[in-house]
Amino acid sequence: MDYDLSPRESAWRDEVRAFIAEHVDESLSRETREVGNEGRGPRARKFLDALRDRGWWGLSWPKQYGGLEKTAVEQWIFIDEIETAGAPMLPLTATSVAPTIMRIGSEEQKNHWLPRINNAEIDFALGYSEPEAGTDLASLRTHAELDGDEWIVNGQKMWNTMAHMATHNWIAVRTEPDAPKHKGISMMIVPMDAPGVSVQPIWVWPGLRTNALFLDNVRVPRSYLIGERGMGFYYAAMALNFERLSIGSIGMARRHFRALVNEVKQRVVDGRPLKNDPWVRERLARLQVEIDAARMLGLETAVALDRGGVPAAESSMAKIYVSELTQRIADTGCEILGLNGQTHAQEPSALAEGRMQWLYRIAPMLAFGGGTNEVQRDIIGFMGYGLPRK
Amino acid sequence: MDFTPTPEQQELKNAVRELATRECTPERLLAWENEPAGIDDGTWRAIAELGWLGVGAPESAGGTGGGLVDLACLLEECARGLVPRPVTGAIRAVAALAALDPASPRLADLVAGKKRLALAFDEETARTPDGWTTKLSGDRANATVDGTKAYVPDALDADLHLVAVRDGAGTSLVLVENRAPGAVASAVKTFGGDRQAHVKYEAAPVVAWVGARGEADAALASLWRRQVALALAEMVGGMDAVLEMAVAYVKERQQFGQKIALFQAVRHQIADMGTQFTAARHLAWQAVTRVASGTEQGHELASACAYVGQAFKRLCWTSHHVHGGAGFVVEHRMRFHSERAQSLCIRYAPEAPALSEIASALLD
Ligand SMILES: Cc1cc2nc3c(=O)[nH]c(=O)nc-3n(C[C@H](O)[C@H](O)[C@H](O)COP(=O)(O)OP(=O)(O)OC[C@H]3O[C@@H](n4cnc5c(N)ncnc54)[C@H](O)[C@@H]3O)c2cc1C
Repeated sequence: MDYDLSPRESAWRDEVRAFIAEHVDESLSRETREVGNEGRGPRARKFLDALRDRGWWGLSWPKQYGGLEKTAVEQWIFIDEIETAGAPMLPLTATSVAPTIMRIGSEEQKNHWLPRINNAEIDFALGYSEPEAGTDLASLRTHAELDGDEWIVNGQKMWNTMAHMATHNWIAVRTEPDAPKHKGISMMIVPMDAPGVSVQPIWVWPGLRTNALFLDNVRVPRSYLIGERGMGFYYAAMALNFERLSIGSIGMARRHFRALVNEVKQRVVDGRPLKNDPWVRERLARLQVEIDAARMLGLETAVALDRGGVPAAESSMAKIYVSELTQRIADTGCEILGLNGQTHAQEPSALAEGRMQWLYRIAPMLAFGGGTNEVQRDIIGFMGYGLPRK
Repeated sequence: MDFTPTPEQQELKNAVRELATRECTPERLLAWENEPAGIDDGTWRAIAELGWLGVGAPESAGGTGGGLVDLACLLEECARGLVPRPVTGAIRAVAALAALDPASPRLADLVAGKKRLALAFDEETARTPDGWTTKLSGDRANATVDGTKAYVPDALDADLHLVAVRDGAGTSLVLVENRAPGAVASAVKTFGGDRQAHVKYEAAPVVAWVGARGEADAALASLWRRQVALALAEMVGGMDAVLEMAVAYVKERQQFGQKIALFQAVRHQIADMGTQFTAARHLAWQAVTRVASGTEQGHELASACAYVGQAFKRLCWTSHHVHGGAGFVVEHRMRFHSERAQSLCIRYAPEAPALSEIASALLD
């Protein structure tokens, strides 16, 4: 048994750290805080370009597509380091859409889309959800009919984050109206500049922007249906699975927790060091234990992937635990900082970069988004422990 | 035992509920957020005319001479309906001054909504008299205030600040006009809608004394307990709204071809919310009534603080969860309640001091 990084993994971590030291500075973190994480400010773009120049957009990609084919543990290390540094994460175009196209696309589709993704010519928004199809994705209604060599797409997507900045949309659409729900969906690429595509902003509580997407008789080439007709539900699940390491990562929450701890070390309240307060000590210690536990759940997923397993239950454990722990960190963090804990990040006096109240606002969405926690708990029961489904 | 309000209290609650349903719509709530005063003039005047601002003030000042329980009924309902925080802040501030100095000639204008008062006690790193550094100087006739108060709700628009100050004699409470150069309030962006500011006082003239010099500690302690009791009522009102919304939503939202209320995992969340709300409501009202009548028998207020604040936040989290994306948009009522939950909890019901008081009661 060995809980240490191997020499190869350590070397990789050092390489990532060195890259971060060179490319991440306070102005980048500040920009990320100000823009919110839906946005891409100029500094974030520059950082992502530098990652791309380094070939790191293809960390997880197979070598035949110019990828680095890093192990899951190495990917986990990368995610952990980037989040710990407060740097922008790789775009989902690179981490979720591209690997899915590599698996399911025809040669022609791969030759068309992958080079364009690779040189950042195109960037996707992800259009799965609809007003009536959230957790129950298979009930989606956006539909496409074939007309000669084109699909005509009609419907509405909801929560289409990044749609206002993306060049293309990666959407799930119903193409087989007579097939059973799960078998009637296909994945399709819709250029954002196609006639009939429109976007309406939706602002959510933590100050992020997402969008409603309207598709009104939008025509796309027949070849923009990726992979096989009717397999879209499974492809969407595959694309989401490529995100499982980042969805279950404790990096971001731990970064803010560390900032909180640093503030507590220095702060004096009512003439007494805050760190001497027994309640504060107990709370921080307990959160640290939980962060340690969360790290183990994330690693478990990565190690299982490297052993060739399908860690559905493990990644569900990490996702549930991290989302709920983030809420506890935020909640306790705000209270520990007292009145300052409600201060907005834009206030220079805000402790811990104003991130405790922001985490408090973002946390609910970590639990119901990315596969809601109730369904994740079902997955642990079914997949992890063979519980009967009926 | 009787857990129901009196007919007069119920009448007041109904009036608030009626106004809140009509006025405090999502569109108005968003618009108020961008109003400099946190509320438009018309609504402010309408509320003043209804007499709400004077519920805690004596009849001689145009108030209705209500007690703490009446105030709590009023604030509970205001919180449930998301009546803007400047209103609840004003109700609290008037009640505070009225309790400290029922004969204050300034009360009438406050009750009428013509003037506004802010309570300036906290400092950046001090929440109790021992830690406060805002100083009082000069003799009684020519006293001045120097120092900085922090996170003062509604301080920007207030005409007067009730400031807690220290000098060799101890703690005093004084009224200071919110006017440069003596007092300069600068907005600090927080959430929760109570429009906080940091206020710098530099030789700010004392325009009136509230109580004797150096003897405010006891008055402040009792004032604070009443303020906390009122916050508990607000939290109960918020919890009630949050639970009601969750119940309505799970009965309406369909996924997988059925109402989500039919999922056991969802029902259990509603059940837990209901249990916590029921316990919280009674702990809160027990504390309010005991503080009101001065018949506390132990640690009722601390117990309510420790339970209600945390329960409110948990209810908000759960209600957000069952709402999914639909409850997450900026115009949804849920997020106003969630912000108020954290903001009320941090200011009035932090868990640490409450637990430490209970531990002392048990052990020392
Ligand atoms: C800011 C933001 C950004 C987003 N970005 C994107 C994006 O880019 N692309 C995209 O496609 N989507 C995106 N989403 C959508 C997100 O994936 C959905 O919100 C999520 O899938 C939940 O769906 P819903 O909101 O419709 O909630 P619902 O599915 O209606 O869920 C409501 C409640 O019911 C519960 N529930 C549902 N089914 C069950 C069940 N079987 N058993 C027990 N409980 C159940 C849920 O747990 C939840 O508590 C985003 C959402 C937000 C808020």
